[in-house]
Amino acid sequence: MSISSKSISIFLFCVLWAFGPGAAGAQPPARALEDAGGDALGRLCFQCHRASMWSDLRLDRRGWESVLYRMVGRGALWSEEDIKAMAAYLAASAGPQAGKPAK
Amino acid sequence: MRELVAQYLSQSISRRTFLKGLTAAGVSLAAAESILESLAPAAHAQEARPAAEGIKVFEGTGGACFAEQLMASGVKYVFGNSASEDAQFYEALVDRPKLKYILTPHEGPGAAMAAGYVKASGEPAIVMQAAVVGLMNAMGQMFNAFKEQTPLVFYSYRTDQSGRAGRDGFEEVANQEQIVAPMTKYSWLARRPDRIPETVRRAFKAAWTPPYGPTYCSWHSDFNDEKTRTEIIVQQKVDPHMRVRPDPAEVERAAKLLVEARMPLLNVGDEVYNRKAIGKAVRLAELLGMPVTQARQVFVSFPQTHRLWVGGPPGNRLATLAFPKDPDVVVNVGNKLQHNSPAPIVSRNAKLIDMRIDSASMGNVMTTEVPLVADVALGLDDLIAAVEALMTPSIRQRAATRAQEVERFTGNAKALKALVTKNPEWDASPMLADRVTWEIARFADPDAIVVHEGGSIGLHSFGFDPLGGRELFNYYGAHLGSGVGTAAGVKLARPDRQVICLVGDGSFVFGPTALWNMARLELPVITVVYNNHAYSGPHSRVIEKVAGGRMVQTGHFIHDYLGNPDMNMAYIARGLGVDAEVVASAEQLTAALARARRATVEGKPYLLDVQVGRYGVAWADKPWTPPISIARERTKKV
Repeated sequence: MSISSKSISIFLFCVLWAFGPGAAGAQPPARALEDAGGDALGRLCFQCHRASMWSDLRLDRRGWESVLYRMVGRGALWSEEDIKAMAAYLAASAGPQAGKPAK
Repeated sequence: MRELVAQYLSQSISRRTFLKGLTAAGVSLAAAESILESLAPAAHAQEARPAAEGIKVFEGTGGACFAEQLMASGVKYVFGNSASEDAQFYEALVDRPKLKYILTPHEGPGAAMAAGYVKASGEPAIVMQAAVVGLMNAMGQMFNAFKEQTPLVFYSYRTDQSGRAGRDGFEEVANQEQIVAPMTKYSWLARRPDRIPETVRRAFKAAWTPPYGPTYCSWHSDFNDEKTRTEIIVQQKVDPHMRVRPDPAEVERAAKLLVEARMPLLNVGDEVYNRKAIGKAVRLAELLGMPVTQARQVFVSFPQTHRLWVGGPPGNRLATLAFPKDPDVVVNVGNKLQHNSPAPIVSRNAKLIDMRIDSASMGNVMTTEVPLVADVALGLDDLIAAVEALMTPSIRQRAATRAQEVERFTGNAKALKALVTKNPEWDASPMLADRVTWEIARFADPDAIVVHEGGSIGLHSFGFDPLGGRELFNYYGAHLGSGVGTAAGVKLARPDRQVICLVGDGSFVFGPTALWNMARLELPVITVVYNNHAYSGPHSRVIEKVAGGRMVQTGHFIHDYLGNPDMNMAYIARGLGVDAEVVASAEQLTAALARARRATVEGKPYLLDVQVGRYGVAWADKPWTPPISIARERTKKV
């Protein structure tokens, strides 16, 4: 557990840095799924990866779902709900139309 | 002179050395030969004495002595690449059919094949190379053997003969035997022809004394040709039979910690598999209702189908397990615990009981509450007995309750693992690597052996169970090019088991020549190449370090695309005598696997070049390749 708190802090920083502007402000009901996805992302993904491995990736929801299901093949134990929520969040903040993160 | 005679009669020196010694002392050659002749009755009388059991005196060339000692050391297979200076050894093999020589066309896959045989059979083998030039090719697999603690003996002569050594001659390098020292348990240069068997015995003894590891022996090539008299001794006479029981006091402490633990966790490793102690590990886990995991190793050392198996840690640290999140006691049995990150595999929050024979690697990173230096088969016996002695009805009840909690997790985990098929690209062509794996897992025999050398391939769906079910031979040392050779060696050792080799395209092209051995020796292995025409692992890991950098911005990835032109692994296989085909879809894969099964039933190996997709950041359909064309730079079209 020693790495988790530090890792999650860095991860959340990276998520906010990369995708933050779209996630800020008022929270309309349609955003609930995406918010849940953001939470799940912080909880589930960063145990194995730094965000930099995929922060350049730009995909639609189907593409992100495919990425997440590939992690299941590598041992990730995630529910369908978590995967759908994370894919929704990622498609909204790192979809094909999203700008490339500043270097 | 008296001393020389004594040495000769006691068989400490050869006839040649005896003659040399006399002439050096001023005796003429003719007189020396006369003295030698006069000693013949005494020498024969010495020979007439009955040899001690397991020991015989042998006279012959150094090469023949080498062959004799290999047989006495229990060797059945010699893996080698053609070596001019081993002539007398080859000569000796002609009339020693019990010693089978397997010619391998490249030293790397040859050593992988030897290592695969040793790992799968538990029997000794030797792998030979032509001098230091061949050794260099084998050293990659020597590295793997060192990391994986495989007891494989390597030999290569020094091309420089004893009379001209030290002159920077052909194929000569200074201190040849020292080059391998950091990767071997023992490396030695025999100083005289009659010391060849002793050097070989020591190499086998060191390799097979736990903790296992590779060893290396060498000598000047002219020693192979020289006639000598020497002792040949069976290996049992020199093996220390090291089977260590743990300190009873430490066992008591470990048992107390375990029965009092809130949530103990068992982490198993290769020593459990090698000592055939898997059933004992199961017994310990069941006794305590204890969840079981395994940090990365070569073998699967616990049934993945067992209700207490919680899966391997995805980040190779126990903290990355979904369950249990906070074990208070971790008992590691036989896992080397190789670290891939600065964080310790076992958290400092847990008390660690570390049971291993590899005492040198204990306590280096993790703090150890209870060290149990032991042969894990004996150690588990003692620990189980000590735990049983402490079990009370309330402790049994606690263990049962814990087992139910673990089972709830493992039942749920089984359902979550099955979600891999929900991938929206499941039916894509080129295929998802996960789909390929899933189809092969459906196809594989219930007791298939899977040899795995695909860095980016997840091994879901197989349900490995070394207690009579499927087994895994994982790559661990990571010097690439081991997979095909290892699979050939495994099949050689276990001909009645289906052997399937899963290998990435990048790994495959480092060592395909073992396919030729499969064809020649009729080793019916199914090889599946996951061919995405790329090094996808390095692609992702490089981007992790330079996210948003110039490569991502431009799409100019310098290092990872293996297409343009695409490699056709089926052509490579056919060129080496193995029937093969290219597969692009799930439907094609199902039919191709059926053909592969038919081929193997008939005793033939088969290869599938399965086209899989490239996934990850910034892969283009047609990736950029560096614009280097020497043809265009020519001023003369030749």
